[in-house]
Amino acid sequence: METVIDVKGVEKMYGRRVHALRGVDLQVGAGEIFGLLGPNGAGKSTLVKVLLTVIKPTKCTGTLLGNKIGDKSTLAQVGYLPEHHNFPKYLTSQQLLRHFGAMSGIDRKARNKRCDELLEIVGMDEWATHKLGSYSKGMRQRVGLAQALMNDPKLVVLDEPTDGVDPIGRKEIREVLLRLKDEGRTVFLNSHLLSELEMVCDRVAIMVHGLVRQQGTIDELTADQSGFVIKTTNEMSNDVISAAQRAAPGIDCVIADGASELIFKTSDVDSVQSALDSLRSHNQTIKSFGFHRPSLEHLFIKAVQEHPGGARPGAQSSKKKKGAHS
Amino acid sequence: MIFMQTKAIFVDAYRELNAKKLFWLTLGLNLLVVVLFASLGLNAKGVTFWHWTFDNPFFNSQFFSKELFYKLQFTSWGVPIWLSWATAILALISTAGIIPDMVSGGTIEPMLSKPIGRIRLFLTKYLTGLLFVGLQILVFTVGCLFVFGIRAGSWEFGIFLAIPIVLAFFSYLFAFCVLVGLVTRSTIAALLLTILFWGAIFVANTGDSIMVAQREGAIVQLEDRQKDVEVQERFAQKRIEQYIEQGKPIPGQDGEPLSGSATDSMSALNPTLTTSRNRLADAEQAVVTWTLWSKRVFALKTVLPKTQETIALLGRRLISNEEMEKLMENRGDDNYSEDSGQPSFADPRVPPRVEAVMRSRSMTWILGTSFAFEFLLLGIAIIIFVRRDF
Repeated sequence: METVIDVKGVEKMYGRRVHALRGVDLQVGAGEIFGLLGPNGAGKSTLVKVLLTVIKPTKCTGTLLGNKIGDKSTLAQVGYLPEHHNFPKYLTSQQLLRHFGAMSGIDRKARNKRCDELLEIVGMDEWATHKLGSYSKGMRQRVGLAQALMNDPKLVVLDEPTDGVDPIGRKEIREVLLRLKDEGRTVFLNSHLLSELEMVCDRVAIMVHGLVRQQGTIDELTADQSGFVIKTTNEMSNDVISAAQRAAPGIDCVIADGASELIFKTSDVDSVQSALDSLRSHNQTIKSFGFHRPSLEHLFIKAVQEHPGGARPGAQSSKKKKGAHS
Repeated sequence: MIFMQTKAIFVDAYRELNAKKLFWLTLGLNLLVVVLFASLGLNAKGVTFWHWTFDNPFFNSQFFSKELFYKLQFTSWGVPIWLSWATAILALISTAGIIPDMVSGGTIEPMLSKPIGRIRLFLTKYLTGLLFVGLQILVFTVGCLFVFGIRAGSWEFGIFLAIPIVLAFFSYLFAFCVLVGLVTRSTIAALLLTILFWGAIFVANTGDSIMVAQREGAIVQLEDRQKDVEVQERFAQKRIEQYIEQGKPIPGQDGEPLSGSATDSMSALNPTLTTSRNRLADAEQAVVTWTLWSKRVFALKTVLPKTQETIALLGRRLISNEEMEKLMENRGDDNYSEDSGQPSFADPRVPPRVEAVMRSRSMTWILGTSFAFEFLLLGIAIIIFVRRDF
């Protein structure tokens, strides 16, 4: 896999006590939509800012688009939408986009063309000459997204891109993200909206207390918790359950919902047919049968619960510390 | 790409200034002052303003050429008061927020994530602040050029020196302003502390002027007293020689012949000589004291930016030493008398000497030390900006 972001052991300390990043290892492949999840104070924004030279890491080895982290020239190929952006309100969206286009080194002609295209894509073309001060939060977010795409980037880093955007706007943003992927760009998403990430992300990483705890495709991450669920109308006796387990040897089975539900941890549907037969032979009525995969939210909560706040030195003080980011 | 980015930052700064009504207000005020400047005139009786004439025995066309009159107005209030105070305050109010706004959360991140180095970003932003003042001075100076050309018949292109000079002056204050703005991230703090800093420089300047005036006054007084003692001594010496020629003993104050030294003899023949010598000693002590203090204040000023002297450079360039001497001759209090208890610096001979001292201060000292101070502040600000996490 060609990697766009490949970092190892990223550390960031504020003073001596606040350890915002504690050795982050992260790989993002080219052309994928990558989601970074984590609770507040996990260090997600800090990591993004380290990649984009906004924050100086205490320790960092790795590359961004093949160049060493911190190399300014690489940023010409990166688009970035910060979480709490505050673009100048005296500018129109057209002026804002052209300004940032120029800052990225795009010539005037290409700048003007791209500006018009992007404003149309994010649905802000009719507001192109209105000042940002008159925009709603959702409109500013759309313009911010267009700004991040102004330099025709290979990598787009979006920190909470749907923050303040209505459901229709979110759908449109998702479509933009998928379009970016189709164009071969890499999208790095930082978001709390797990359901949205689940819809678009190829791979995700869950970050808790300054460390990446899990990383992979959603299927990979949920593999050990996925399986076929068999629900019966009545609670099953121990003998019935034992018989069903014996019918599907070598497959982990979990009893749930007051013994009226069995979960066989496998993705092979054939291997659980004999268990179904066993249940029927014991006069059990099958209410439902299907494959179950835990949601991203489930994974997220599990990861957070496995690493409670005390795990990170200075986790509580980081909230108070100026400069510590979520 | 460097040019494109720099241009983008300047265009953005212009838009920001444009959005602030103060930019246009200041520009309008500048034009109004130019109109007022043009409304002033000079005739044989005195100064004119529109169709009114204000008789003045000093300011009239018999003493001054129109050109010198306008130069004087330009260098005595046009630049030092209008550009260096009023416009500078308005400019500080307008630009104090440039750095705090830039480093505020949500604004700085997109900027830093672009392929532009932090040092260049910071310095370009700093220069955009100076652009504000540059534009204002340019408008004012061009207006004044037309006033010189049309009203005085002299196209004095030398007044364009006001642009770099006032810019240099403003840059000292602005460097302090951006440093405070960067550290505190507060526009109000940057503005207030800069005004305080400016006040401190003003106090140092005033202190320097007072010390120099006191020293020069003391030197004038010393010279006077030296002459007075010399005259009295010559007179007494002449009398002693007369007594010796006539073979007569020199009488003391009590009428008895004197047998002491020549100094005693002189004092005996001229009783006021002792008093004069004592006053001379006092004057010598005063010179020593004021010289010491003026050196101390000068040393303090050396490390501070020279706002007043920087602005005065324009006067030096536009008004020659000869013209200044002529002006000084016509000034001063003709009724000055040391015996009336007036301080020595009120002597009409002191202001020209003070002016000469001020004019003798080298451009290297004035600009060199001021820019050194400015670069030091900017250097500190750059180190902070480069090292800071946003």
